[in-house]
Amino acid sequence: MAEATIQQNTGRKRVLAAFWARLVCFALLTLAALWYTAYVLIPKHDYGVCSMMHYYRQPRDTVDVLAVGTSIAYAGINTNVLWEEYGIAAYDLCSAEQPFWVTYYTLQEALKTQTPRVILLDAKPAMYTKDYSKRGRIIMSTFGIRSLDNRLGAIRACLEDPADAMDYLLAFPVLHSEYKKVGLGNFAYPPENGGRGGDWKGFIEEDAVEQHSKPSVVWNNVRRSINAREEEYVRLIFSLAQEKGIPLMLVAMPNPDYANDHMYFNYLWSIAGEYGVTGINYNDPSLRYGLRYSSDFADWQHLNVKGSITFSRKLGEDLKALYDLPDRRGDPAYESWAAAADAWFEKLPTFESSGMITEEIP
Amino acid sequence: MSILSIEFLALVGAVLILYYALPLKIRWIALLAASGVFAALSGWQGAAHLTAAALVAWGGGLALQKHRSRILLAVCLTAEIGAMAFIKLYPLLTGAMLAIPLGLSYFTFQLAGYLIDVYRGKARAASNPLRVLLFAGYFLQLPQGPISTWKELGDQLTEGHRLEPVNIVSGFQRMLWGFFKKLVIADRLAPVTEALLKEEAALPGWFVLGGVVLYAIRLYADFSGGLDLVRGVSRMLGIGLPENFRRPFFAQSVAEYWRRWHITLGAWFRSYVLYPLVTSKAAVRLSRLVSRPLGKKTARALPSALATLLVFLLIGVWHMMSWNAVVFGGYFGLVMAASLLMEPLWKTLQRTLCLPKGGWMRPLRLIRTWILVLIAQYFAFTNSPSQGFSLLRQTFASWDFHRFTELCTGVMPGLEWLIAGIALVILLVVDLICEKKTDLCDGLARARIWLRWPLLIALIIIIAVFGCYGEGFDSAAFVYTQF
Repeated sequence: MAEATIQQNTGRKRVLAAFWARLVCFALLTLAALWYTAYVLIPKHDYGVCSMMHYYRQPRDTVDVLAVGTSIAYAGINTNVLWEEYGIAAYDLCSAEQPFWVTYYTLQEALKTQTPRVILLDAKPAMYTKDYSKRGRIIMSTFGIRSLDNRLGAIRACLEDPADAMDYLLAFPVLHSEYKKVGLGNFAYPPENGGRGGDWKGFIEEDAVEQHSKPSVVWNNVRRSINAREEEYVRLIFSLAQEKGIPLMLVAMPNPDYANDHMYFNYLWSIAGEYGVTGINYNDPSLRYGLRYSSDFADWQHLNVKGSITFSRKLGEDLKALYDLPDRRGDPAYESWAAAADAWFEKLPTFESSGMITEEIP
Repeated sequence: MSILSIEFLALVGAVLILYYALPLKIRWIALLAASGVFAALSGWQGAAHLTAAALVAWGGGLALQKHRSRILLAVCLTAEIGAMAFIKLYPLLTGAMLAIPLGLSYFTFQLAGYLIDVYRGKARAASNPLRVLLFAGYFLQLPQGPISTWKELGDQLTEGHRLEPVNIVSGFQRMLWGFFKKLVIADRLAPVTEALLKEEAALPGWFVLGGVVLYAIRLYADFSGGLDLVRGVSRMLGIGLPENFRRPFFAQSVAEYWRRWHITLGAWFRSYVLYPLVTSKAAVRLSRLVSRPLGKKTARALPSALATLLVFLLIGVWHMMSWNAVVFGGYFGLVMAASLLMEPLWKTLQRTLCLPKGGWMRPLRLIRTWILVLIAQYFAFTNSPSQGFSLLRQTFASWDFHRFTELCTGVMPGLEWLIAGIALVILLVVDLICEKKTDLCDGLARARIWLRWPLLIALIIIIAVFGCYGEGFDSAAFVYTQF
């Protein structure tokens, strides 16, 4: 009788062990399927998610110049020009309207795999006034962040109500309706980066031409306080760079609408000074590098292809002068930079369309 | 707390772990704790009402076991049902709102049934008030039933169940199926009903009829989906909740429809209202009184017909507390009463015309049942009987198809219609399989992994992608939660 009970118990234990093993396998398979489904649903648009996804594919510690910030930076800092003319290995890890709260977590994530020689921080968010933003293009750019802590941090930083964070973290509640827009390209892994190929370095060209005039600015030192949350996070960014021992350079991108930014930027520069951070304001009328406001802008704030070439030549020159940036051309570890630049310059004469999805994201 | 929320899923996960981690004898404590958390999170007033109702039933049950007094039973039932009626009628009478406890009707009916069963000697009164509290407030049946009897659920809840893999797998599958029905079908069809209510004046007949058919399907997917979900979770805990739907749209008659639709409500009214009425002295007296003028057969059927009419009026009022309810319940009551009274005539006709029981008569009977059921639906979702009648008139008015595309895409885009169509086909296929083989869930739970896993993962992805929830969708509350 006792033996039968022991046998029964052993049999049950075996059944349960097999059940738990199957359950774990099923859960893993389901998670993998859900992860891929979420990946397919993520809109692979120009607003920044691809640059984060693609960033993980860069060989460890190869990025020498890491640019973080808004669309003004990704449309202006032409990584192909920096490579072609100076041999600088740069990567634009930017997204549209990216506030400092998102930049901070993006940067934290980025520095896990790369140790750049200099970080370029786009100054534009200094003039952003919102405390929080659920705007799709801002929050969706965080979907490219792989690690849970930084992704959750970026999501929570965007949301006024922390209770909403779970929806964004799980992704499906905010993403699943994207099935209406899914095309075959969405299934490709790694992402096609809008047809720019697997060597792409985050630069997104704007090929329109819009006539503007040089901004009329009284070049004074008057400061205007920036949004408190933007200040909180930009200070965190400066501290992070200091902690990691990586030089950070503020970059004020040339911008026809600059008159609105000037006083905010003065304030930002004063904060940067507290951390020993310097920067270059490329709107400074004393800097003459051949940029034409009549032909080098795609719209009221983004440089177009021609403008990005002119601007990046100057930027490369300044970077070379200020930081110890080796010329990586010819280094086999940097083949992808060479390939990206070759492909881009090949397309340059006929640049008409980027081939990216261009619908407006709310 | 909605049973579609992440919080609910987290609660279910915690309960599952705690339940199977505790020693067998005290596993029910985990259920009690979860029910307490669920009820409290759904509103403290509701939790207080539930506790008071359970205490009344516990005390009443013990007293009824000692003294089988009809007066005592009447007092207890008045307390239970009176409180429910007061809460439901208060807004109608005063215009002021009262917080309606979650699952008010469900736990009231269960407790009333418990008291009657103890009085009848069909159940032993529980000595532990917590057991009665758990019976009334079991968190999985609180939102929308099913209405269980003490015999079905009382012991099951407290006896403690061992972890059985087949229960976990089968329960999980049923839960997923519930999510599919609710999120992919029911909520996707919700805009159709809204369109009917919004633009009733300008709608052609085919659109009204289609909308009412889709409303009936939506209601089925919504209610049965919610119940599949909770029955699945309960099954994972080893606790079987009674079936509430058995593919009602395959019914061959209205009577059969009601034996397949909201089964536990029908069973409750049959056990505790219909049978006592039919077997009462008054019914016997009435039968005797009319046997001479109407004949024996009709006289025997008359009390049942009248009792059925009353029961359906009550069911209607339970559903809505409005004039629509009176029309809805009265209509079903009349149809059922008429079918009872005309049964002998129908049998004679069947014999005379040599009509077969099966064969070609089956689809005809199915269509007849659909038509009779659909007429009632016109009053189930409209705001007033006049609106219901107006839509009914419109169904026969104009069948102009020139606005077909405009009307359909006005309700929802073509892609959504396509998804709804595919989902309905899946529902139909599954229901047809279930009609032949009683439990598809159990069958699938025992199927080979290579068949089961891809199906389940596909279902999870379908729900995650095509479910109506989160941004871009208005996830509707369960229709039957309000009761």
